[in-house]
Amino acid sequence: MTYLLGILQTIGVHTLLGLSAYLLLLTGQLSLAQVGFFAIGAYVSGILTVIFSWNIFAALALGSLMAGFFAFLVGFPALRVKGLMLVVATISFSEIVRLFFFNLSWRVNVNGVEVGPDSTQGFREIRYFAANGWEQVHIVGLIWFVVMVVMLALWWLDQVRAGAVLRAVGTDELAAQSSGINLTMVKVAAMTGGGVIAGIGGGLFAHSTTYVDHHTFVILLATFAVSYPIIGGLRSVIGTLLAVIFIQGFIIEGLRFMGDYRNLIFGLLIILVMNLRPQGLLDGHLVADVRKLLARLTKGGKADA
Amino acid sequence: MNFDYIDIIQSLIDGVLFGSIYALIGLGFTLIFGAMHKLNLAYAASSIAGAYTGLMSLTIFGLPPLMAFIIGPVMSGAIGLVLYFACFRFMPRGNHLAPLMASIGALFFIDEVIIHETSGSPMSFPAILPDAYFFLGEFGIRGDLLLVMGFSFILMAIVMLLLYRTKLGLGTRATSQQPVAALLCGIPIHRTNSATFILAGVLGGFAGCLLAASVGVLSPLLTLPLTVKGLIVTVIGGLGSIRGAIVAGFAVGAAESIFLLVRGVNERDIYVFLLLFLFLVLRPNGLFGTTINRD
Amino acid sequence: MLEVRNLVKHFGGVRAVDGLDFKIQQGEVFGLIGPNGSGKSTTVNLVCGVFAPTDGEILLDGINLGAIAPHNRVDAGVARTFQNIRLFGELTVWQNLWVAWRDQPGQEQGWVSNWFGRSPARRQEIQRLLEFSGLGDKADHLASNLAFGEQRRLELARAMASKPKLILLDEPAAGMNSAEIKDLCERVLTMKEMGMTVLLVEHVMELVMNVTDRITVLNFGKPIAQGTPIEIQNNKLVQEAYFGSAENAHGGVS
Repeated sequence: MTYLLGILQTIGVHTLLGLSAYLLLLTGQLSLAQVGFFAIGAYVSGILTVIFSWNIFAALALGSLMAGFFAFLVGFPALRVKGLMLVVATISFSEIVRLFFFNLSWRVNVNGVEVGPDSTQGFREIRYFAANGWEQVHIVGLIWFVVMVVMLALWWLDQVRAGAVLRAVGTDELAAQSSGINLTMVKVAAMTGGGVIAGIGGGLFAHSTTYVDHHTFVILLATFAVSYPIIGGLRSVIGTLLAVIFIQGFIIEGLRFMGDYRNLIFGLLIILVMNLRPQGLLDGHLVADVRKLLARLTKGGKADA
Repeated sequence: MNFDYIDIIQSLIDGVLFGSIYALIGLGFTLIFGAMHKLNLAYAASSIAGAYTGLMSLTIFGLPPLMAFIIGPVMSGAIGLVLYFACFRFMPRGNHLAPLMASIGALFFIDEVIIHETSGSPMSFPAILPDAYFFLGEFGIRGDLLLVMGFSFILMAIVMLLLYRTKLGLGTRATSQQPVAALLCGIPIHRTNSATFILAGVLGGFAGCLLAASVGVLSPLLTLPLTVKGLIVTVIGGLGSIRGAIVAGFAVGAAESIFLLVRGVNERDIYVFLLLFLFLVLRPNGLFGTTINRD
Repeated sequence: MLEVRNLVKHFGGVRAVDGLDFKIQQGEVFGLIGPNGSGKSTTVNLVCGVFAPTDGEILLDGINLGAIAPHNRVDAGVARTFQNIRLFGELTVWQNLWVAWRDQPGQEQGWVSNWFGRSPARRQEIQRLLEFSGLGDKADHLASNLAFGEQRRLELARAMASKPKLILLDEPAAGMNSAEIKDLCERVLTMKEMGMTVLLVEHVMELVMNVTDRITVLNFGKPIAQGTPIEIQNNKLVQEAYFGSAENAHGGVS
């Protein structure tokens, strides 16, 4: 049971990372900054609960808002660059954040115990959940509640004009601009939204694992974050979720069958998937087909029309 | 902390010498990006992997150390060709995300292979002229770094020659500017791109070997920092600009060295990245890049 | 309504537009023609804000457009179509219109409703525009799946969706067959009846001669003639620009 809950925990947090990158990819921005926002959410909310004894919900909220604020700031210079340059700019941002926290030492004596981020030693003792009677089931429940809310919000975006505008910007910026869309506003909004999502993911991550250090927030994690929406396909949020399950499930479960070779096979798998389905697992046609199938199934109970 | 100008200039000298390696990697990234307008994130890893094969062939075949510097680049070229077929050859032309993702997969794969074959521990790499140390007035110059830099210049000159004086180079430049038109003119795009990947691979292999020779060890931990530095150099130099990559390589090497002197090893990279960020905000085209095209 | 004064645009050494003046009255269909490379598309791009002019002014109802960002020019009442169709291929026909949609002045809805709402009134209007464009039953089709003629109509509809005062059509008839061109003629004339002002850049004379009220002819970025369609057809300079001078003509000049 603990094992299963552990997997659910990891998948949930990674889904938030993936959804954060998904929002940005809709507008055509391939961002590796998500891990930076993730880190900000983790450290800020951790510091709030550990050093300032804040309530978890308030801490998560402020952590994600801080992440969103920095995402907003990053959004503007990010507008000036596209494609490869954006990749490099966002890599730099994430590395700056990681190195900042690597050097951050903020030790405070709380109730007789020294707590707080300890530069190279990492940030230990993020024990809010344990100290307040949360069990693993509750933690996993909270994580997935947030995941569901975010997925619902992103799904709903596609039902209203905002989603179409986001995708229009991602498809053809010149045409979008000529149709009256303010590119700056849309891209910065997407970056900010992505930052908030990653931030809350970071906060949940920090509290559920009770320990973070700079090793967690490496660029590798950022590449995972973008790989989920790319492999899952940008047509639907569900694609990202499926990709997380597929990839994380593979990595975790793969340990059993392939032992040390699973990362090797993992790399090959990605290459294979991208060659076979460059548009991602869930592409437009598949989504359209599934929708038609669902429509037919729900009508199936009634008499033939 | 006080630094007098001697420390600063010494630091600059070391940085510029080392920067030639970054210039080579940046050049390789630029060649590939210039040809296909797509990014090969596995490039630095394949360069290091080539250096590893060079190193390990010494023990397997009992060869003199010099052979590592030949086998390494050749193997990197071969790996580059394989990467082209695995990640780029069969992708739809307009799709940029899929090849990028595939190259990330390749990066994971190559890293894991290296870790497996070496059990994760660093291996010592033959140094070139380890005891050579010259003095120019009050400044010390590492002889081996000087050789590295000289060698890098030779390599860059060869690449420029290939690009601008041969039919292959012409084909590469034509394909990069107008792939469909190039195809219609009878330029074999896939062969041209394959050749570009091989060339970039060989270049990277030299960079990997030279890097290993300069620091004395080869370690899987080198791949990610080298990838990032290479990308930074490519971007600061201006996308697709050969001259830019070269100049930027030296500039980044020098900057890194100064930051190391002034802020220490823990914070050095923060400033390198801040420099990059600043650059992108103020001069998004890089040093020599052409204006970013509209669709 | 639109006044272009001494418009100049250089791209490095190329003088794409070199001193262009014209005025378009409200409600007229104004043609801009000329041989390839004469600066027609560049002019459209300048009016829309894709490029900034090297010199000269563009005034819409007296307001200098130079200071206005491209996406805000749509608010000012300018819309355009593209020479190479630039639809949002991954979006449905409906979404393509939705994205560009502006409500009737006076019936604007709030910010929240605009971005996150689904107003039945708006839906009806969008559907009406689709019907007008002959795409009424294709609302849920992906734009990239449409036939060529349908795509052109959608592109036109998208430009109309933003309720423009001035609509710029950049070679809308390119690639069309006779029937499609006739259909396009009718559409442009209907747009004129609806009160829009049209700047038509075109090569296809069948369209130009049948719908425009006045024409300016460009050659090498400079205007060489201005007048009604009949006047332009008989203008020697125009004939020379298109066909070369009589000494160089191989057959007759039509």
